Amino acid sequence: MKVLRDDLHVLSGSYALDALGDQEREEFERHLQHCPSCDAEVRGLRETAARIAIASAVAPPARMEQRVLAAAYQTRQLPPLAGPRARRQDQDRRRAQVARLFAVRPGRVPRRVAAFAAAASVAVAVALGVTQVATQHQLKSTQASGAAITRVVTAPDARIETQRTSAGGSVTVVASAALREAVVTTTGLVSPPAGRVYQVWVISPAGARSAGLLARTGTLLASAAGPADRIGITVEPAGGTTHPTTTPVAVLPLALSLLASPARSPSWSGDAAQLGPGGRT
Amino acid sequence: MGSMSRPDIRPWRPVPAAEQDPDLAALLARVARGDHRAFELVYSELAGPVYGVVRQVLRDPAQSEEVAQEVLLEVWRTASRFDPARGSAAAWTLTIAHRRAVDRVRSENAGSRREQKAAPAPADDADVAEFVVATMDHQRVRRCLDGLTDLQRESIKLAYYGGYTYPQVAKLLGVALGTVKTRIRDGLIRMRDCMEVNS
Repeated sequence: MKVLRDDLHVLSGSYALDALGDQEREEFERHLQHCPSCDAEVRGLRETAARIAIASAVAPPARMEQRVLAAAYQTRQLPPLAGPRARRQDQDRRRAQVARLFAVRPGRVPRRVAAFAAAASVAVAVALGVTQVATQHQLKSTQASGAAITRVVTAPDARIETQRTSAGGSVTVVASAALREAVVTTTGLVSPPAGRVYQVWVISPAGARSAGLLARTGTLLASAAGPADRIGITVEPAGGTTHPTTTPVAVLPLALSLLASPARSPSWSGDAAQLGPGGRT
Repeated sequence: MGSMSRPDIRPWRPVPAAEQDPDLAALLARVARGDHRAFELVYSELAGPVYGVVRQVLRDPAQSEEVAQEVLLEVWRTASRFDPARGSAAAWTLTIAHRRAVDRVRSENAGSRREQKAAPAPADDADVAEFVVATMDHQRVRRCLDGLTDLQRESIKLAYYGGYTYPQVAKLLGVALGTVKTRIRDGLIRMRDCMEVNS
């Protein structure tokens, strides 16, 4: 169900109470990134929900404490997310990578990043035009993605990763964990067979979700892409499908350590929902 | 209200959130560094609310215990990701708890559920009340809940205690989707304002 933007705001209460279905939740989370007042409201309402929870506290069985403590002390903890200093180091490394990718000297990268972003947003329009999948709605969102792409590519926490694909050429993903968005750029893939297109997927533990169709050389913006998700590209029938039906030509993790090891290719047997381990963290 | 408690449900008397929370945030920072003592203290503050909220959604004691354990282990594992600038430690933890409980319900329903199928039977209000013990915080929440319209109150209870999505809530209450999402939001806002005034 498509919800109009004006109506999205009213979902803050349902979101704070985990009362949205998956699709609306993702849509609302995208909305939150551009709506600081909604974000503040959600945080306030979560405090309220917490007060309701505290008021309904029940003493757990006594045995639970020892179990939890014992399990905890055998469990490795997650490292903190990058602080300002680590972010700066990441940014420097990212610039060096961008520099390599576009063969420019590191000192000049910021301008090049902006140029990359501008080129990328043009490429989105071209890609959608060429593959003739642009409905009026998509055109609108394409214009919006120009700005969004710039935002992702220039985000302080943006990570970049390039991988060769089994369909020739390469795919580059620039992702921001904070924005939960990724810019996917293909370069020089072979032309797909007649009646086939390249389709981009955001692969999460819950399954694969289409991020749109992409030309052999083109750019698109994948939204609601969490740090643990992966980006996959498959060859699909013209118009795209709801689930991937072929072995991906490339899979890139978004939990982008800059020195990330090559992605493992998942094998999916028709049902994308079986991909990845279950559970959410 | 306290007299309605089941024998196996012992009351839990936490310090009001506003007072305990600065400590909890500091404790979580220590937990992130692997401090066992700090985690024990966090456990003693939050195990009751975590178990309470999970049990209210799941009902089944064994399943609730399992999920509550997962949640508390998650608190240990991800303590470094808690950001005090974005909210209280209690809200962070209980958001994880509620989310996990709801995920469990929905993944169990997913196999058989169809979009238009009738939602499961609603939580009986007496069942819910049975879990709620008489603490200061409880009295305040109760008073604020009483200040809501019936539709606001029922919508919030079904969504939060019942773990239903708002379309399911709409179906259970026989009202329009738009009405329910609006009532959940304005009801919660009223709760928020009411509890600020009363705390």
